[in-house]
Amino acid sequence: MREAFRQELKDLKAEVVSIGKGVTDRTRDAVTSLVTGDVDLAEKVVAGDEEIDRRTLAVEEHSIEVIATQFPVARDLRLLHSLTYIALHYERMADLAVNIARAAKRTAGRRGPQTLYDLIQAQGNLVYRVLDATCEALETRDVELARKLQDLDEPIDHLYKQFFRELARLQDEEDIEWASSMVLASRYLERIADNAVDIGERIAYLVTGEFEALHSPDEETS
Amino acid sequence: MALRTTPIADNAPNKITVKELDFFYGDFHALTDITVDIKEKAVTAFIGPSGCGKSTFLRCFNRMNDLIPSARAEGLVSLDGQDIYETGVDPVDLRRRIGMIFQQPNPFPMSIYDNVAFGPRLQGVSKKAALDEVVQTSLERANLWKEVKDILGRGGLTLSGGQQQRLCIARVLAVEPEVMLMDEPCSAIDPTSVQKIEDLMAELKDRITIIIVTHNMQQAARVSDFTAFFLQEVAGDPAILVEYDRTSNLFTSPKDRRTEDYITGRFG
Ligand SMILES: Nc1ncnc2c1ncn2[C@@H]1O[C@H](COP(=O)(O)OP(=O)(O)O)[C@@H](O)[C@H]1O
Ligand SMILES: [Mg+2]
Repeated sequence: MREAFRQELKDLKAEVVSIGKGVTDRTRDAVTSLVTGDVDLAEKVVAGDEEIDRRTLAVEEHSIEVIATQFPVARDLRLLHSLTYIALHYERMADLAVNIARAAKRTAGRRGPQTLYDLIQAQGNLVYRVLDATCEALETRDVELARKLQDLDEPIDHLYKQFFRELARLQDEEDIEWASSMVLASRYLERIADNAVDIGERIAYLVTGEFEALHSPDEETS
Repeated sequence: MALRTTPIADNAPNKITVKELDFFYGDFHALTDITVDIKEKAVTAFIGPSGCGKSTFLRCFNRMNDLIPSARAEGLVSLDGQDIYETGVDPVDLRRRIGMIFQQPNPFPMSIYDNVAFGPRLQGVSKKAALDEVVQTSLERANLWKEVKDILGRGGLTLSGGQQQRLCIARVLAVEPEVMLMDEPCSAIDPTSVQKIEDLMAELKDRITIIIVTHNMQQAARVSDFTAFFLQEVAGDPAILVEYDRTSNLFTSPKDRRTEDYITGRFG
């Protein structure tokens, strides 16, 4: 009985890690589609969202079932509860990736200044790192790595701000819809990273049993 | 983690204080170095594998162990700041102040009414109205009144096991104890009665201090404000108190690895 329960916890955790990896892939595809104007790739990201939604719901249902029947306590309870919490965060991040893919579809026909594409790509690269770190920290119960997510998040915020400054230099004749789509995309990336920081805090909790001070995101810029 | 509107305050008074208690059955050293403060008007649960000395420890609080030849306690157990092993303390009076409920319900072979009236009569209450009153109040507090109010003259032993256990609780409550010790009170009874006993514990703790030994960890989590985990790590060695904390902490974030392993079913 207890053995089967242990195995269920393991399976559930593996599923959440796998969802996390799926979200990382989708974020990567979304950014690539935006930077390269690849509408097919953007389409694929949008279509894939339903799968993440379904798997997240399954994690939540399964976890409620285990709580109801197995009375988990201590680390088992923290793990189960945190897995649901983390899965829901991943699900939100996947929604943000979809938004980026939508921006890619809107802007695909046009081409703006290369510096802005470069900035988005640079921001994306940092976000992949943060996402990878959430998966790794969860998989290996690595508290140090989980706590480092906050530091990894910082340069992403900076790039978002830099993006704004670059935008201000645009000439009047630049396409406003294009520009606002790019700003939104940068904003979505920044939000994905914020969610990753929350996941990091949750991983620290599930390992240590202590709630650490929740970070509050910088003042809303848009 | 008994749901209540306000948790017991950190500075709530201690009802019972135990300091560096060791306990022996002849040559057998059963418990060592137990230090714990039991909060007043709270429910405290003792958990741990069978044979780790939970009942032994519980019996130290009302000197029930005195009845076992060769049994010996060293260290301090005090009730409201008074050492209960001091020579001046009358064990009979102590056992009125600290009532006890056992795993097997043990009503006296007499009527339901007389079971509950037994203690008050010993204390000199003899007026019918006064006895009626205490019988009804005690049965109500024990969550049994509705079931027996029309059959008070019937023998206590004719009741179901779960009702008998609540009758025993009423019998203890009738002498207005300050503390109630419960040694696996729900192990031998039906689920409905278990529910009723858990409910009455929640109601009683406004008035008295309750200590419950239970092998059912969900029950400990449901009914108690504080939980103490005991463990005999090596066979033959005395048991120790591994961890003592608010139940909500102990069942979510235990500090000791041994507690964690026990409550999550990794051993024991
Ligand atoms: N009357 C007794 N005489 C000798 N040893 C006893 C007596 N009662 C209990 N013990 C021993 O003391 C240890 C603790 O027993 P007990 O307090 O009943 O444990 P628990 O209630 O945790 O199951 C056990 O090893 C048990 O065999
Ligand atoms: Mg016992």
